[in-house]
Amino acid sequence: MSRKTMYALFAALVVAAMVLTACGGGGGDADTSIKVGAIHDLTGPTSDVGTPYAEGIKGYVAWRNANGGIEGRQVELISADYAYKVDQAELLYTQYVQEGVVVFQGWGTGDTEALRGKIAADKIPFMSASYSAGLLDMEAAPYNFLVGTSYSDQAIIAIRWAMDDWAAAGNEGMPSVVLTHHDSPFGQSPVEDAAAFAEANGVAFISLPMPGGVTDYVAELAQMQQFGANYVIVHTVSSPAAVMVKDAASQGMTDSVAFVCMNWCADEGFIELAGDAAEGVIGTIPFAPPSVPVDGHADADAWLKEQGSSLSEASLHYTQGWWTMALMAEGIEIVLKNGDELTGENIKAALETVQNFDTGGVTSPLSFSATSHRGNTSLRLYEVQGGSWAAISDYISAE
Amino acid sequence: MNSGIFHSTYKADMGLRHTFHEKLRWVIFGILMLVFPFFADRYYLTLANQIGIATIGAIGLNILVGYTGQISLGQGGFMAVGAYAAAILTINMGMPWWASTIIACLVTAIVGALFGIPSLRLKGLYLAIATLASQEIILWVVTHWDAVTGGVDALVVPAPMLFGINMSTDFNFYWLVWALAGVTALLTANLFRTHFGRAFIAIRDQDIAAEVMGINLFKYKLLSFATSSFFVGMAGALTAHYRSIVTWERFTIDVSVLYLAMIIIGGLGSVRGSFYGAAFMTLLPAILSNVGRALKSSLPIVDSILPFIQQAAFGLVIILFLVFEPEGLNKMWKNIKDYFRLWPFSY
Repeated sequence: MSRKTMYALFAALVVAAMVLTACGGGGGDADTSIKVGAIHDLTGPTSDVGTPYAEGIKGYVAWRNANGGIEGRQVELISADYAYKVDQAELLYTQYVQEGVVVFQGWGTGDTEALRGKIAADKIPFMSASYSAGLLDMEAAPYNFLVGTSYSDQAIIAIRWAMDDWAAAGNEGMPSVVLTHHDSPFGQSPVEDAAAFAEANGVAFISLPMPGGVTDYVAELAQMQQFGANYVIVHTVSSPAAVMVKDAASQGMTDSVAFVCMNWCADEGFIELAGDAAEGVIGTIPFAPPSVPVDGHADADAWLKEQGSSLSEASLHYTQGWWTMALMAEGIEIVLKNGDELTGENIKAALETVQNFDTGGVTSPLSFSATSHRGNTSLRLYEVQGGSWAAISDYISAE
Repeated sequence: MNSGIFHSTYKADMGLRHTFHEKLRWVIFGILMLVFPFFADRYYLTLANQIGIATIGAIGLNILVGYTGQISLGQGGFMAVGAYAAAILTINMGMPWWASTIIACLVTAIVGALFGIPSLRLKGLYLAIATLASQEIILWVVTHWDAVTGGVDALVVPAPMLFGINMSTDFNFYWLVWALAGVTALLTANLFRTHFGRAFIAIRDQDIAAEVMGINLFKYKLLSFATSSFFVGMAGALTAHYRSIVTWERFTIDVSVLYLAMIIIGGLGSVRGSFYGAAFMTLLPAILSNVGRALKSSLPIVDSILPFIQQAAFGLVIILFLVFEPEGLNKMWKNIKDYFRLWPFSY
């Protein structure tokens, strides 16, 4: 390619891009469709779990539209990949708000934190897969709704279970618990609340950050053993958790110490990566995995089977996205049923009236109020048995 | 027809803009910039503001990398210093936003100079790794120094007010960021007409020769780090005031790489190139995603592969530029101008 052709090509690309951008947008029935904005991580660092979550949101919208939409109106999902880049998230958010979306589906801690001021100013109800308890502050984040059990509550539930399990095994006193976490705001989020709960109950507790970019966690495991840990709560994503559990298994540590994964490491990916070492690991999972069928899985499964797939192929993060979108749709439906104007403010008010929203057993019932956007405080515990997650408890509450 | 630009006075020789056409283009560009915000919607204003901030940051990085030849992968970290300094000063000490911005720039300059110390002994790849370390160290401090940076939680910065006007709205911020970008560009362009700037360039071209000529390498390398970081800190501080929320996830290594890509594509060692690069790298993903949306209805497959095209395009653009026009968009623009100026008798 000569330099001249290169220039011609460049010029042609610029012109084509401009023309296409100019006629971009549009689509959908402007009058009746309900615009929902969303950003997904399909190519970024969290794309392994971000992709099925995004598919879940898209799947719910497609299913709902195929079944007549919300109150007869179709849902138009405007979404794009943002590769976990905060600047991209902001740009896409601004673009979609400009185009008239009334609600917004985010994804990670980065974008949720960065956007919470904007969404409050724009009055756009916002849900994401970040369950940081900091988002429950009604002054700082009045438009954020937490659909999953918060990380703090998950950690407290894990400690509560550890206390019961310890007593049930005939041990005296209280167990020693370690919370090992991803070294980031996401990971540190539950530490303070968990430490306070442990102290109030006389449980010996330490928290231990997991350094990133390492190939083994032998040093961290040694620290845990020195502390005399009986239970280790792991709050990170599945791949480092799998490495840690594998290391622990090879040291024979898993015989005497129970590992409890919180929701971002307790998934199908973790079992795949950790293999045999995953057996017996406990998980605090707010959204029932497909391996434990409940009524709330039926619609998603039937929909996926129509597309030639199935829920067990799609993973539990699909269910997570599906039901997060379902709750948002519930808020929209209430507004439309009341005959109110479809604005972010009205949808927020409608969501705040939701009481005991039934997810068919996928989560414990979700309730919101004007003073609390904490969907639920309880979940079931699961255990890896024979290569898949199996339920081992009824709903345990953090309160 | 012109066969070249010849100056008959020293004043003309020293001018920043030489020809009538150059001046005319600047007037047109200026008018466009002044009119733009009155016609643009919020999306385009956000894009413009992002380009403005990126321009300031890219000019800052270009001083260090393009003009002084010191490779830096610490851009994200230095922006974080600026953003956190501005946020902390505003929140904890109740400083007005403009004062916190100025101090944040100075703080970043000091931090930049500090991390520039290894540059005396390290060159090229080794320096790149040293600055990469500064990126990691700064982010580690930001996320772990709870008492000062708030650690886990994002910092919420109060809205910047100027005479009772909220400057963080897209429309108002446009004026602020582009005024500052203009000042930054002017200062930098003039910097390289002083002996400081010429010393920077001499160090880039041949550091040993520069030392022989009496340039104190240590002093000027540190000065270059400080000047560069000053503007990078400004970009960080402006981000803090514009977005009103500061989180560490905005300043990761990705940002350092993105800015390096900006100045490579725009043109190393060129103020205008910094602007072209900032605009290009901000608009590229936006254009790609809009093109994708436009094509989605006619070609459904685009929807599923678009994210990967976006990722690939980023790499492809950099490679193509390195192969065909290593001097970047700035040189391309010059070539285009030359083509028309000399047409039809180009040589």
